[in-house]
Amino acid sequence: MNYGPLVFLAAFLALSGSWVGFVVAPNFQLSTLQETNTIGAGVTYPLGRPGLAQQGLQVYRANGCVSCHSQMVVQERTMCEVSLTDFGTNFVAVESALRGINSNYNAQVINELKKSLPKTIVFDTTKQKADATVKLINQAGAKAQVVVTPSGSDIARGWGRRRSVAEDYLYDDPVMLGGLRVGPDLANLGSRLPDVNWHLRHLYAPQTEIANSTMPPYRFLFETRKIGSVPVAEPLNLPSGLVPTGYEVVPKPEAVALAQYLVSLRADVQLYSTPFSTPPAASGSGSGISSNAPAVK
Amino acid sequence: MSNPIRSKAAPTSPQQEDLASLAHVPIWLFVLLFLLTFWGMYYFDQNSGWFNVQVYTPYRSVAELKLYQPPAGGGNERGKAVYENICALCHNVDGMGKPNQAPPLVGSEWVLGSPTRMARIPLAGLAGPITIKGVEWNLAMPAMGAALSDDDLSAVLTYMRQSWGNKASAITPEQVKAVRAELSGRSQPFTSDQLQQIP
Repeated sequence: MNYGPLVFLAAFLALSGSWVGFVVAPNFQLSTLQETNTIGAGVTYPLGRPGLAQQGLQVYRANGCVSCHSQMVVQERTMCEVSLTDFGTNFVAVESALRGINSNYNAQVINELKKSLPKTIVFDTTKQKADATVKLINQAGAKAQVVVTPSGSDIARGWGRRRSVAEDYLYDDPVMLGGLRVGPDLANLGSRLPDVNWHLRHLYAPQTEIANSTMPPYRFLFETRKIGSVPVAEPLNLPSGLVPTGYEVVPKPEAVALAQYLVSLRADVQLYSTPFSTPPAASGSGSGISSNAPAVK
Repeated sequence: MSNPIRSKAAPTSPQQEDLASLAHVPIWLFVLLFLLTFWGMYYFDQNSGWFNVQVYTPYRSVAELKLYQPPAGGGNERGKAVYENICALCHNVDGMGKPNQAPPLVGSEWVLGSPTRMARIPLAGLAGPITIKGVEWNLAMPAMGAALSDDDLSAVLTYMRQSWGNKASAITPEQVKAVRAELSGRSQPFTSDQLQQIP
């Protein structure tokens, strides 16, 4: 019996099936993706990267940065907390409302609580329960609000406030998602480390900025020149010992573009698809906005 | 040469061998397949978000995503959007108006006063001299709000009454609808005196 047509049909179905699944369906889903508005401020997002940063993307690509760095923050779940922001005046009503939430709230605990508002009164609950709690508190004349916090190991590492979504890559061609994390995720590098000169020094000599870094230096993106031959606007401010005396290190245009690209990596605005909220600022204790940056020396 | 496997089996006639190849697929396999398919469809239904482009893990549906959206926070986003698209061209984004173009809305007695009086201005327009905060203006405003829906118009009127330090009651879509019904057929803009007679 001639199995040729059958084999052809099976192969055709298998290949066209995967083509539909991997190419056609995502195209249907994402090809019409546009800029969107951020939640809260309502500004357009994303804006295209500035010209130099766009060139930097090609430098990033050419130097294989993507083989050690991803640009994709993963979110595992979303936590809801309830934060008490204003105690109001009706102590008895608020007290009984708080007791209803947690029987450990006695008058003494509540008095302590009252002194240090805003204070989280319900940890890690569902949105429905958090909303119900807020309603209960509001009825007692106090004010509370729900704090929505994305969580997951990437977010715990400080790599971003929320997960990455398709809009974040709208203007990137090609998208530098990356698949291996020898180094940290860079989806929000620009919000953690917004200093271009830091990136230039780090590219020239990574260990001067992060002691235990395993990143190789990219010194071919820089030029070591004898001081005085050509005037230079901005030589690198490197620690002594790295450069022989009488010489200076000057970034080539590629290095400048790459550093501009790195500081342009920010994906931390709130979109409809990635809800989160900033916890209420503590009155009189600084800005209340915590940085997601890891400790930088 | 005889096949050792075949020879091990009981010597059979050709008919019996044919019968063996026609053995039925066991019924439990169908049941298992059905259950697996059912579970697969259920899982898809629960977790796919129906391929909506806004739904990402860990969210599983549009409804769940909507639940997590922050409260509007008293912010009248709709009114703000309409205002900045239409009204702000003349009255300015900050509601302070522009000289020789449009009077201010901030603190204006016409904005803070009666809702039905205020709603008449965008629905039919306003012409002729009018005194606002002690200053006389003599300009013409076309019926800029006539084409807006009741929801949009009430949102933008509320936005004017409650922004930039203005503090007045909100205007509901029903109020706008009632005024619009009263004005049906009117083509003339209001004058200051006519508006004064509106309660």
